[in-house]
Formats: sequence, structure tokens, C-alpha cells
Amino acid sequence: MTAGEALQIDSITKTFGSGVGQVEAIASFSLDVEAGEFLSIVGPSGCGKSTLLQIVAGLMPPTSGRVLLGGRDVTGEPAHMVYLFQQYAKSLLPWMTVEANVGFGFEHRGKFTPEQARVRCREYLDMVGLGDVAHRYPWQLSGGMQQRVAIARALSAQPRVLLLDEPFSSVDALTRLELHALILELWEKQQFTAILVTHDVDEAVFLADRVAMLTQRPATLFGVMETELPRPRRPVETNELPRFLEVRHRLLGHLLAKGTGTHDGP
Amino acid sequence: MLVVALLLAWEISARSGLVRSANWPPFSAVVVALVRGIANGELVAVVGSSLWRMLQGYVLGSAIGIAVGIALAMVRPVRYTLLPAIELLRPIPITAVIPPLIFVLGLEDRLKIFCIAFSVFFPIALNTMAGVASVDPIYEQVAKTFGVPSPAMLRRVIIPAAMPMIFAGLRTGVAIALIVTVISEMIAGQQGIGYYLMSMEFAMRATDMYAVIILLTLVAYAINRGFVAWEAQIIRWARTRDFAGT
Repeated sequence: MTAGEALQIDSITKTFGSGVGQVEAIASFSLDVEAGEFLSIVGPSGCGKSTLLQIVAGLMPPTSGRVLLGGRDVTGEPAHMVYLFQQYAKSLLPWMTVEANVGFGFEHRGKFTPEQARVRCREYLDMVGLGDVAHRYPWQLSGGMQQRVAIARALSAQPRVLLLDEPFSSVDALTRLELHALILELWEKQQFTAILVTHDVDEAVFLADRVAMLTQRPATLFGVMETELPRPRRPVETNELPRFLEVRHRLLGHLLAKGTGTHDGP
Repeated sequence: MLVVALLLAWEISARSGLVRSANWPPFSAVVVALVRGIANGELVAVVGSSLWRMLQGYVLGSAIGIAVGIALAMVRPVRYTLLPAIELLRPIPITAVIPPLIFVLGLEDRLKIFCIAFSVFFPIALNTMAGVASVDPIYEQVAKTFGVPSPAMLRRVIIPAAMPMIFAGLRTGVAIALIVTVISEMIAGQQGIGYYLMSMEFAMRATDMYAVIILLTLVAYAINRGFVAWEAQIIRWARTRDFAGT
């Protein structure tokens, strides 16, 4: 069991290009993420949410600022953090079986005998309910199953922080609800810190302890809202709670107003 | 079916006197020569020596081609310095430079091995370059997020992802290697299929000429089938995925 770790995002900025074609994607973003919390980040599309998450993951260097994991500077060094990609179909390696893909998640994190690796692959595949397709190839599975494999692979690396980049946006509505339940179940069991980037307000509220709102590009933090919803979350009941509707109302109000700072915050 | 009909037409045309020439033996006579040649080991030695040269040249050219192709795709300075030279050398027909090469390399095996390696190098290097350059960057990001160090990246991600393109180059290379083997033996031969063909032609032994051509055809066919089977084994995922339509 690996407990989640606290994450500090400290004055991150990101500018693409230079001169006339220069685009400012993120204008100074700071946020403290608590150990083991589920944080959602919502913002208007194209505001730089994914860029922000990729910087946190160490997949892209920030122009300035830094990311601290458990108090240590981890910019450019993605240890203990795993990024779950939006394009799950493309993120699974097509020349590897499902089991090999899951094994790929942890083979560079330590030494494993083939037997140990196999057991661990099975453990995580069983966790997402896919123990029986271990020897198939990813492209032989449905979209929802592929995303489950991607989740199993991400968790097999036993991350302290899991970064989710709109991972549920390209599956059908029912599959999405199933994946929500799965990710919450695994989050409660494994106790990692989760940061989800999404443009789906219902999803953000349903899953998270707190929701951070971004402004339009260049992104800054507009405000953070506690959802204060009871756990476990239930797909029907939770979404009908007055508090759910209230949080949803405020977030949507912000997004529809384009978050240009005309509001006073949440 | 068509092959059988053509062979039959050959047999009849020669036997019936439709084509009356010492250079047009009936097919059955060629088969007899072929069987005799194989039985006494003469043709086996001829074809075997050619195949051995071909294999050496092919392996050498492929290995260098794949290595250079990867370097071309991944290292910009290498691309800038090497690619213009490659584009300049590529259109040179190897046959045209064999005579001057004889001055440098002599008539021995190393000349032929060089010619084969040189010819297969280009399609393999350029296909490898294209394959590596077109690897989806998301695979590298996936590898990064799972802590794959840079040296392992090549082995675990880039080469497997580029494999279908590398194989396309390797397959083209097989056909080229066979052609260049025979031609280089014809021009600068002391042994092998090409040399044997030329000798039999000068000796007016048409039957033996056709016998070695038929053997060559069979061997080439077998090599190609073997290669396709090997390729299917290695990049099964790419083939099947295309058919699955995803």
C-alpha cells in the first residue's frame, strides 16, 4: 500500500513560442494539493488544463515555477506520479498484450522476477475486472475495457499521485459511470492523491473533495470549492443532493461567464 | 494453374518442333538436368555459394541500414549531414560502379558482399528513418510517465513501434539483395549463380542454364515465403489491427 502524498504547485507559468507568435498558456498558477485528496480541475476548453497537468507530471517543463511532491522538487522527474492519458486507445502499446502493457507500468520501478511480475499484473487486472483478457491485445477490446487496462497499468506502478487527463471523456455515458465508480473504489482502497482535469462539471463534482476553477487562457486559479458531499458517492443519489446541485450551479455559472474575473469568486 | 499451362506450352513448343533451336530445350530435359545437378552437388554448390554471399551482404547492409535509419530520425545533426549524401548516392545503379569497384575491392567475395550491402542499405535506412520519425509521441510520454529511462526507450518503445516500417524496408531489401547477388556474380564472377549462368551461356549449354534459373526461382520463392511468415510472426499486432479496423 502506498499512501498518497501532498503536492505543491508553486507559481507555475508556461509560455509557448517566442516573439510575435508567443502564447501565454499559464500565468502563475499555485495550488496546494493535500495528501490523499481527490481534486478536480475544471476550466473553459482550451484554457491550458492539460498543459498544467503535463507540467505537474513532469512530461513538460514549466517556463518558471516548480512542483513539490512531499516537499521535494520533482520538476522533470516523474517518480511516484503517473499520468493517465485522455487517448487511452493510443496510450496502450499495441504490440504488447494486455498483461505486458500492465507489466510495462512497473517494470522500471523495481526488480521483479517473471513470476512476481505476472502475479502483480494479474492482481491489477483482477482489480479492474479484466483478469480473463490478459493475453489479448488492446485493440481487441472495447473502449471501456481499454481504459480499464490503462487504469490497471497506471495503478500497477503504485503511484503516490495519479494525474487524470480527461480519461473518461471519450467513452459512452454508461461506461463513464462505471469507470467513475471503479476509480473511486480504487482511490479509496489505494489511497493515492488524485488530480483530475475535466470540462465535465458533473464529473468533477461527483468525484472530488475539492474543485479548482481555472480562468480562460492564460490560465490562473479562479477559486477552489469544497464539494462537502458524503462518501461513498452514488451515481444516482449523490447527483440529486441539494449540495451537489448548488456546487454544480456555481461552477457552471463561472464557466458560462467565461471566468474572466467579472465574478468575485466562488 | 497458369504456371502448369505455361510449362506445358514450353514442353510442347520444344518437342513439336514449333521452335527449332538448340537453345530451346524441352522442359522435361531441363528438369532432368536440374535433378542431375542437384544429385551430383554441382548446382547445390553454385546456389549455396550465392546464398551465402547474399546472406552476408544482406545482414551487413540491414544492420547498418537500421542503425543509420534510427540515427537519421533521432539525431538532427546526423540527418543534416548524412541525408544529402544518401540522397546523392541512392540513385547510383550498383552495376555501373562494379567495374571501378573491382580496382578497389578485387574480384573476391568482399566486392559482392559490399555491392549487396550497399544496395539493401538505402531502402532499409530510409524506411527505418520514416518509421522511427512517425512513432506517435504519446508512446514516449507513456514510457516517461512509467519511468522508462532514455536508453531503454529505444528498445522498449521506439523500435517496436517502428517495426512495421522497418520490415517493409527489409522485405524490399530481400528482393534487391537477390538481384544484386546474381548481377555482381555475372560481372565479377568466379563462382555462384551469376557466374554459372554466364559460363553455361558461353558453353551453349542451354539446358543447364534453365536448370539453374528454375532452381533460383524456387529458392527465391522459398526465401520470400519464409520472410513473409517471419514478418507476420513479429508484427502480427500491426497486421491484425489493420484488419480489425481500429
